[in-house]
Amino acid sequence: MAFLKVQGLTKSFGGLMAIRDVDLELQQGQILGLIGPNGSGKTTLLNLITGFLKPNAGTVHFMGENITGLPRFKVSQRGIARTFQLTKAFLDFTALENVMVGRVYGQQPAKNLAQAAEESLEILDRVDLLDKAHVKARNLTLMQRKRLELARALATKPRLLLLDEFMSGLNPGETEDAMQLIRQIRDSQVTLIVVEHIVKAIVGLSDRVVVLNMGEKIAEGTPVQVCEDPHVIECYLGKAVCLK
Amino acid sequence: MSAKRITVLALVVAVVAVLAALPLFVKKDSTINLACLVLLYVALASSWNILGGYAGQTNLGHAAFFGLGTLVARFTWLGGWPLWAALLAGACVPVIFALIIGAPAFRLKGAYFAIGTLALAQVLYVTVANKWPLITSLPARYLATYRLMPRYYLFLAVAVFTVGVAYFLVKSRLGLGLMAVREEEDAAESLGVSGLRHKLLAFGVSAFLAGLAGGAFAFYHVGYYPQFPFSPAWTFDTMMAVYIGGTGTVVGPIIGAVFYVLVKELLALKVVEAHLIIFGILFILVVLFLPGGLLEAWSKIRSALGSRAKSRKAALPAG
Ligand SMILES: Nc1ncnc2c1ncn2[C@@H]1O[C@H](COP(=O)(O)OP(=O)(O)OP(=O)(O)O)[C@@H](O)[C@H]1O
Ligand SMILES: [Mg+2]
Repeated sequence: MAFLKVQGLTKSFGGLMAIRDVDLELQQGQILGLIGPNGSGKTTLLNLITGFLKPNAGTVHFMGENITGLPRFKVSQRGIARTFQLTKAFLDFTALENVMVGRVYGQQPAKNLAQAAEESLEILDRVDLLDKAHVKARNLTLMQRKRLELARALATKPRLLLLDEFMSGLNPGETEDAMQLIRQIRDSQVTLIVVEHIVKAIVGLSDRVVVLNMGEKIAEGTPVQVCEDPHVIECYLGKAVCLK
Repeated sequence: MSAKRITVLALVVAVVAVLAALPLFVKKDSTINLACLVLLYVALASSWNILGGYAGQTNLGHAAFFGLGTLVARFTWLGGWPLWAALLAGACVPVIFALIIGAPAFRLKGAYFAIGTLALAQVLYVTVANKWPLITSLPARYLATYRLMPRYYLFLAVAVFTVGVAYFLVKSRLGLGLMAVREEEDAAESLGVSGLRHKLLAFGVSAFLAGLAGGAFAFYHVGYYPQFPFSPAWTFDTMMAVYIGGTGTVVGPIIGAVFYVLVKELLALKVVEAHLIIFGILFILVVLFLPGGLLEAWSKIRSALGSRAKSRKAALPAG
């Protein structure tokens, strides 16, 4: 049984087909890379899986259960967490309080706020934000806010984690660290879908890659297969990237 | 327990003890009446703040829930119900109204909630005025035994209970979820927090407490027109008290209510004609220059004094 199974998913905004008849399957413990040009529907697909958008057609099954059209907080309670392409921190909360929300409302919630705080500090440490625990989110840099969002999502103890351009804006050294962090998360029994524009990161991380173009899935396979796909090269990658 | 918590607890106990002993050394009815009014506004402001300050939903019809509390409690009490049952009924009926209006209004984003509550209050105001046009006065047998003390203690109990509920709610898991929804609803939902359920809970609790305050008012007042507690003035006085004190904190509405009622009374005595205008200007100044209310002003002054004291200390060894 597939861990996550998306069938015939379709979403249009007015006349624009943002996602058209997309199928997707994901095995537990894998990292799925999701790539595609700007506006190809990657964020929309994540929004459909997490209940932030309702599809016009198609289904989403998670661990054998139909979760299509479920309210988004219920999708979260099933064990699917996400981060946002444009960060959405609780700006007037401290970093610690941000993470605590995930810890008291997520899976295996903390028994009380004191315990939630303790466990949240450990999670902040994992993303290297421990020294910012008592800093308000509005005073963090954009990169710190991204890591805060990751910590907050991890605090819900998800089974499936969707990252929307977590690495955009990082320099090569930071990208390497972020990849290391994502591998650690995978090793802690969390399945991931990773949306990125940085091809090197996607190739380095993913077990499988799906390519979207104009709302349609145009290729799927191992990173190497996808990189050699002529259609993908034409639509998205350009020759230079794949020849290396 | 930390030293700070012990200090706060001691302060709370002291304030409540002083208020409880007040009638022992204050014999003037007018002063006790004023104290009743202050306590009533503490309750109203704290209950409004649960939804307006913590959940970030501006209720422009708080008078509706206060009014429903007075209406139900007054008529059941005068109809022969024991006081506690009348008060309970007066607190529960507003909750039903809150859920009926909240469920659709919270689903629609934007100003629908503010407009919906405003409309509800206006509709009830007019309806009650039409349906019960006569003044409701205490019957002779109630008047014969009327004493101010039990009224004062009821207001005190309602105010303490309301502040207590507000405190424990916001210090709980639910309070954290409520504030998360206020801060960024999408993110809160992505972590498993239902925005709708939390707002409805806050609205229900807020309406319950407003209705309870209404019950105390119904027990207190000798004679008033039934529509009077539904008047929009109650909503706006309450909101002014909250904004003056500082929204989204437990202490803010208390300070705001005390300040608001006392200053308003003082102005009304001294400058009968212009007191509303003066107060209006004062209110605008507070909101414009101290968006966090008096509480923020106080913490600014304190940190300014603190940093001066620190720099003086730092200067000492050198000098
Ligand atoms: N809420 C919305 N209403 C209308 N159109 C939308 C909405 N969300 C997305 N779209 C449109 O749907 C298409 C897909 O957008 P989407 O954000 O999913 O792309 P993306 O692959 O995530 O792009 P990027 O790489 O820039 O993040 C775009 O044309 C976008 O303008
Ligand atoms: Mg996107």
